[in-house]
Amino acid sequence: MFNLVIGQYVPLDSYVHRLDPRSKLISVFLFVIIVFLANNWLTNALMVLFCLAGILLSKMHFSFIYRGLRSVFIIVLITFLLNLFLASGGTVLFSWGWLHVTTNGLFQSIFIAIRILVIIVVTTLLTLTTSPIEITDGMESLLKPLKKLKMPVHEFALMMSISLRFIPTLLEETEKIIKAQAARGSDFTSGSLKSRIKAIVPLLVPLFVGAFKRAEDLAMAMEARGYHGDVGRTKLHQLSWTWRDTLLLAAIVLLALLLLLVRN
Amino acid sequence: MDITFEQVTHVYGRKTPFEKRALNNVSIHIPSGSFTSIIGHTGSGKSTLVQHINGILKPSAGRITVGDFVIRANEKKQNLKALREKVGFVFQYPEHQLFEETIIKDVCFGPMNFGVSEAEATKRAEECLQLVGLPSQLWHRSPFDLSGGQMRRVAIAGVLAVRPQVIILDEPTAGLDPMGREEILSLFKDLHERLNLTIVMVTHNMSDAANYSDQVIVMDGGKPLMAGAPERIFSQVDQLRKVGLDIPETMEFLNRLLDRVGKKETIPAFTINEAADAVIKILGGVKDHV
Ligand SMILES: Nc1ncnc2c1ncn2[C@@H]1O[C@H](COP(=O)(O)OP(=O)(O)OP(=O)(O)O)[C@@H](O)[C@H]1O
Ligand SMILES: [Mg+2]
Repeated sequence: MFNLVIGQYVPLDSYVHRLDPRSKLISVFLFVIIVFLANNWLTNALMVLFCLAGILLSKMHFSFIYRGLRSVFIIVLITFLLNLFLASGGTVLFSWGWLHVTTNGLFQSIFIAIRILVIIVVTTLLTLTTSPIEITDGMESLLKPLKKLKMPVHEFALMMSISLRFIPTLLEETEKIIKAQAARGSDFTSGSLKSRIKAIVPLLVPLFVGAFKRAEDLAMAMEARGYHGDVGRTKLHQLSWTWRDTLLLAAIVLLALLLLLVRN
Repeated sequence: MDITFEQVTHVYGRKTPFEKRALNNVSIHIPSGSFTSIIGHTGSGKSTLVQHINGILKPSAGRITVGDFVIRANEKKQNLKALREKVGFVFQYPEHQLFEETIIKDVCFGPMNFGVSEAEATKRAEECLQLVGLPSQLWHRSPFDLSGGQMRRVAIAGVLAVRPQVIILDEPTAGLDPMGREEILSLFKDLHERLNLTIVMVTHNMSDAANYSDQVIVMDGGKPLMAGAPERIFSQVDQLRKVGLDIPETMEFLNRLLDRVGKKETIPAFTINEAADAVIKILGGVKDHV
């Protein structure tokens, strides 16, 4: 029912899966910044190539990633159209009333669309190849210096891992509730806007009630098992940084240098 | 309303790494007015199967006929609402459907969705809450203050209030005490006999399947393994054991007794009385007992 791929973890065995979450997090962070260096065909092609290489190395199916991206295509399309008509400069390709499409506008909007897609693909790849636990462990480890400033890094990481962990559960729950209410004649997909909004109430109420109940149960289960916060807590999975992680960071730096060289 | 499955296949998460073939080329027939139980190991596709009957799930391939309604694979828009008015569905987890401020309003939700007036819906709701045995002092309370078993009763009342011709029950007695289980199953048996409702029940309880139904379908790995009268199904002890199922306790008892006295047969007996009769027969004892 839901083709949401973002936030889902697919356990496979690949180079990308085996990387240290810290190197993946840093790389994605850097990549998202680097993307903004791309401003001509060659630099954009480089970004796309990097993404393709990442997908290949992760053993993910292109069709799977494509299907996951379908839901964000509409956003990409809107930004594309906005830019198409708003950017100016270059020769006019065609006009329609007061709207003009120029070569510059066309290129700019294509670049921006590529930029958004590339960012989404890379972050999706991160969550597809890294389990929520790894991501939060990596985050916590990277943010450790902030603990000195009395920042609740551990609590923040815990909150994040719990929310990530429960995204699929919540989706599953939503699906079950939609089924149950549809069986009672509730209709989410047709009728006037008003009746559709009204049909959301029978969906949201059980969803919230269930979420609160689960939160209570979880808190109780954690306390019952002796959870007492950060102090003296050890990790089940130790993070280990290998030469592959160094290689990945080197690749990112190399990419950045290349972009700086060939951009306009 | 006759229910017919013709070569129905259902695949979850098609073209993803999580692809799962939950039903594989299933063809079954559930006659109008029958009480059919569906049994099978956990994950054998029972819930998936019954969710096709009211169009909650669409088949990936094949065809389902329910009365005059036909559901085919790859068909976009169908008049599912009309089908769902005729086919009621009690889900495995009732807490997924309660949402109103009061219990009685929640029971009215179904009928009012199908165009019944508020007054009529309230009348039906009171009737059905009475039927499922929920004390009337609770009717104006919030459904979230109830116990799991009471929630289940409210959920069942909510389905009955629509007055369907077919009722699908997915483990209707989970979370009920033995008394409550007996009450709820007798209620459905009574509706089945009095109003000639078609009932399809998914259950893990072999005794319930044996006692209440006139047809049992055994699911295994997304396929129907056997279908037939409970007497016939529960005589195939070895087959059932192979797919991780049991036989009713009364039969288990008789089998061991027959073993002890050195006889090689199986006697289908599902109630305590039938079992007692069988014991007397096996031991060759008193003829005219009560
Ligand atoms: N929404 C879903 N998405 C993906 N796979 C599913 C989904 N629902 C069920 N499955 C899978 O389909 C198979 C059949 O599931 P189903 O719920 O029909 O089993 P069941 O016989 O009802 O089991 P139980 O007795 O535990 O209720 C299982 O392997 C299950 O993992
Ligand atoms: Mg089930």
